[in-house]
Amino acid sequence: MKYLVTACLGALILYCAFGFDIKPEDIRFVRPDGWPKPVYDFSKNKITVDGFKLGRKLFFDPILSRDGSTSCASCHTQWSAFTHVDHGLSHGINGLKGKRNSLTLFNLAWNKSFMWDGGINHLEVQPLGPITNPVEMGNTLENVVKKLDTAKGYRARFYLAFGDSAITGQHVLKALAQFTVMFESFNSKYDKYTRHEPGGEMTEQELNGLKLFRKNCESCHNEPLFTNYSFQNVGLSLDTELKDYGRMGITQDPQDSLKFKVPSLRNVAMSYPYMHDGRFRTLLQVLDHYTNTIVQSPTLAKEFRKPMVLSLQDKKDIIEFLKTLTDKDFLFDMRFREERE
Amino acid sequence: MNYFVRLSLLLATLLLPAYGMATPASDSGIITIVIEPMFGDQPLQLSDKSYVDNFGDTLYIDLFRFYMTDLDFDLRGDTTFVLAGYSHLVDAEDKNTLSFSVKIPAGTYSTFNFTAGVDSFENTSGANGGDLDPAMGMYWAWNTGYIMAKLEGHSNVCKTLHHAFEFHIGGYMPPYNAARNIAIALPRAMIVDHDTRNTVRIKADVAAWLTTSLAKVNSIVIPGKDAAAMADNYAKMYSLDKEVQIPLIHK
Repeated sequence: MKYLVTACLGALILYCAFGFDIKPEDIRFVRPDGWPKPVYDFSKNKITVDGFKLGRKLFFDPILSRDGSTSCASCHTQWSAFTHVDHGLSHGINGLKGKRNSLTLFNLAWNKSFMWDGGINHLEVQPLGPITNPVEMGNTLENVVKKLDTAKGYRARFYLAFGDSAITGQHVLKALAQFTVMFESFNSKYDKYTRHEPGGEMTEQELNGLKLFRKNCESCHNEPLFTNYSFQNVGLSLDTELKDYGRMGITQDPQDSLKFKVPSLRNVAMSYPYMHDGRFRTLLQVLDHYTNTIVQSPTLAKEFRKPMVLSLQDKKDIIEFLKTLTDKDFLFDMRFREERE
Repeated sequence: MNYFVRLSLLLATLLLPAYGMATPASDSGIITIVIEPMFGDQPLQLSDKSYVDNFGDTLYIDLFRFYMTDLDFDLRGDTTFVLAGYSHLVDAEDKNTLSFSVKIPAGTYSTFNFTAGVDSFENTSGANGGDLDPAMGMYWAWNTGYIMAKLEGHSNVCKTLHHAFEFHIGGYMPPYNAARNIAIALPRAMIVDHDTRNTVRIKADVAAWLTTSLAKVNSIVIPGKDAAAMADNYAKMYSLDKEVQIPLIHK
């Protein structure tokens, strides 16, 4: 017994000192039963242990920002499903504030586009958004490559991952994609419920919430990914300071005015605040908006053209259901922790 | 003088490997494409030389870069040889980018085709490498896509900070795709085989791009209607200067 305790303690200390070691079986991408085919083309960026570890190191390294202050993880913390919890608008270097609430990161292999306005069309080039945004990392990819080239240890890691110690923008981006594409969330209570597994026993309230959800929310937040990846105007009033018209900024099409990406609701209870500008702090506020404060406009989603009717109890039940989408296996998955050296 | 030294050095470096490769009477030859940045009939000089555009305005060019991709060569007759995936970034500031060589099958060619810009496939396929690496400074972050051509400079007619004008032209989504197909007809059929080296010299004339007054339009940096209209201008930049064939002597 004493030995066991010592061994466990030793393992814990070792673990804390060196982090989780990645083995080949840790980087096997899973397509859960019944899920659609991923959009991401893995054949063009085969995930390897070294590539995943390099991506992980880059994700946590503030070297990506111009002044070395801000990493990807600064605004994407794992325990909040990789968003910037409690920050309505995320901030970057020099404390500058962005104009949008950072999105959660998981099940990215199914994303057809990235960012609230869908301006980014591929997982691999997604990091260019935050890296170059003046209020996020304020850097350029050229400069990131230059900095990594002279930073300790990186050339060897690029060699291990890509067989080339010459660091390129392409390899920086492919490594980050190898790490982030592995953020998979499919082990919530709801998932266990649909798979009839232990731990998936829903309460009556949760089941009623699911029923109401399927009736009122499913057309956009459809299962199993809880988004249909479309862009919708959900009747939020235009913030007169930010003047953010969303998707229209990308397509220049007035029909896209005030439309934003439908986010996945997986882990939604952990990723407050809500909406593209983080204007609501609670899920109840979001549902109250849907029943009470929809702003009519030409591009409003058809679902909101006549008012949604939900009692307070209905809303509470929906929220209880939404909590079953929290996936602790994912939120505490050791593979996604920062590597200690 | 300097220019000729460079040219001969360039030819020497290109000839040597070709000479080595030619041993098994290969059925292919090498074509060297040389780009000549111009302003009207003068070779383009960046920053310190002034030019006068079609509107009589004096201007300076500070930066001039563009992509040439999807190279292919029409054989006399009907077949085309496509150099799949070949992409080249020309930067007027970097002499090394002003020429490149490609190997193509022996034959008699009538036209050299390329895309001025980058086609939609490459714009939607993630992080590419080589000249298409997003670290080349020709890539938009917030709205994915390549900047297919960049022209920057300054002129007193521009009522902007430092009198600067800047055109970053791109966009792959219809109807505002800014890539343009260019066909350069070769006046005499170009015979390609392992005994000759062909050089095709192409002028890229900035004056042909600037067909709107800088006083009126001096900044286009996002995809859309204006960018697509300007792409129609840069499609007119290219013309054949001349085509040279040098016999190689084999032992």
